[in-house]
Amino acid sequence: MNPLELTLGIMTAVGGFVDISELVFAAQAGSLFGFTLIWVFAFSTIGMMVFGEMSGRVAAVAKQPVFNLMRHRLGLKLGLLTLIASLVSTLITCAAEVGGMGLILHYLTGAPYLVMAILSAGALMLSMWVLPFKWIERTYGLLGLLMLVFAAALVAIHPPWDRLLAGFAPQVPSGLSVKQLLQFSYFGVAILSAVMFPYEAYFYSSGGIEEGWGSKDLTTNRVTTTVGFGLGSLLAITILASSAQLFGPALVGPQEPGTSALEAAIPFGRAGLITALLGMLMAVAGAAVETCMSNAYALAQFFGWEWGRHKKPWEAPRFTIAWIGFMLLALVIVLTGAEVLSLVDYAVLFSIIVLPLTYLPVMLLAGDRSYMHAHANRWLAKGLGWTYFAIVCAAAVAAIPLYFLTSGGQA
Amino acid sequence: MRRFLPLLLFLASCSKGPEADLPAISQARSLIAEWALVNELGAQHKVTSTYATVMRKRLRQQLGAIASSLNQPDSQYAEEIRAGLGEQDGASPQVLREHASRLKAVEDALESA
Repeated sequence: MNPLELTLGIMTAVGGFVDISELVFAAQAGSLFGFTLIWVFAFSTIGMMVFGEMSGRVAAVAKQPVFNLMRHRLGLKLGLLTLIASLVSTLITCAAEVGGMGLILHYLTGAPYLVMAILSAGALMLSMWVLPFKWIERTYGLLGLLMLVFAAALVAIHPPWDRLLAGFAPQVPSGLSVKQLLQFSYFGVAILSAVMFPYEAYFYSSGGIEEGWGSKDLTTNRVTTTVGFGLGSLLAITILASSAQLFGPALVGPQEPGTSALEAAIPFGRAGLITALLGMLMAVAGAAVETCMSNAYALAQFFGWEWGRHKKPWEAPRFTIAWIGFMLLALVIVLTGAEVLSLVDYAVLFSIIVLPLTYLPVMLLAGDRSYMHAHANRWLAKGLGWTYFAIVCAAAVAAIPLYFLTSGGQA
Repeated sequence: MRRFLPLLLFLASCSKGPEADLPAISQARSLIAEWALVNELGAQHKVTSTYATVMRKRLRQQLGAIASSLNQPDSQYAEEIRAGLGEQDGASPQVLREHASRLKAVEDALESA
């Protein structure tokens, strides 16, 4: 297996796990609750691996992307409702990423934020127009690996490894007040939502079809979801752990996405800061591309249009218009002056509500022997799939009350 | 429990006492602490001057927005936030941390009330 084949998983994971929402939530979670929320990341990552592997397997064996299934499995009405909810939540996420890119360029250059956001959207559209799918995933996936500076920074600050590793065990810190318990629960739900963003499954399975996956690629699929998603999750955990060590004691509960970059500046100085900001820029850019293309994939697959970046833009005209339109809409949202952090909150909230409807059809089809033959879900995939589905449903019900009761996790 | 949920949400949104300002106090405390950290690392030449300038400007803007949206503008914590806002861009990290610590004390007192 060519290691470069992992880039789809790395891009999906780096863009999905360390996008602008994770940069905020992971750092805030670490500052507020130390290492005690690490297990939620680990637990959600396994869930994302399970569903990612299923959606990739369905793409490889049944040649069915997620939204094609949705229409057939949920029926037109419920399918359409899911489509609209997904489009809205992913569009808000895309706007948050474009705004995030504008902000990071603002920190790097000092040029006006909105100008940087416009330039970012322009650069993204240009890269999506010019680059073939393989190069899109390689460019953003591999450059996103600059985020490894956060892992190096964590090692350099010598955290208490025993306490950090203990954070992988499911736990609720003792001695919390009711308010703090609600806040802890809100962060748990928000991390679950941010790790399992539905767009990651849309992008990943559509990417598998773009690359012409077949049954022979099932090992690639398994390795990609395990290694790629695992790497993305590890990066998010390092941001949380450094925050627990550096920000919590300094009373910092990052309100500004750029504060996370200080985790690398503390041990490595300016070089660390700039590498961290560039890594964040590429990870957020990858997430912007993923969200924008995911929406275009969803729309095209639901209505049966020609789609794919393996085709020339004019060979799939409605798909091309869709991704350009979604990127422009995301930019318009940013230009209205919406705060990036508010967009992140809304994106996470919407996504957790959409999640059950996204994953149910994938799970049903992955277990259907008439489509999947010998590659249908076995007992482990079935057991994990239904367990995570139940957890995602419970989180979807709890998300809105927790959001209001904790003022979006602030208190 | 479910039928009480709308009532709980309604009460939470209607509360206008110091408790309703708790999220704002917590945000302000963090913003001032972030400012202190930026200044501390700036003094050690660990961040670029562009980054430090942009961060200070944005932190100050958010702090200003919080100060003007408090439900209890005459409270002790509102005074503390305004005092923090009144500091110069390059204020000493120690001075900024003292503001953050005082806000943290208010936060803790309100949380345990």
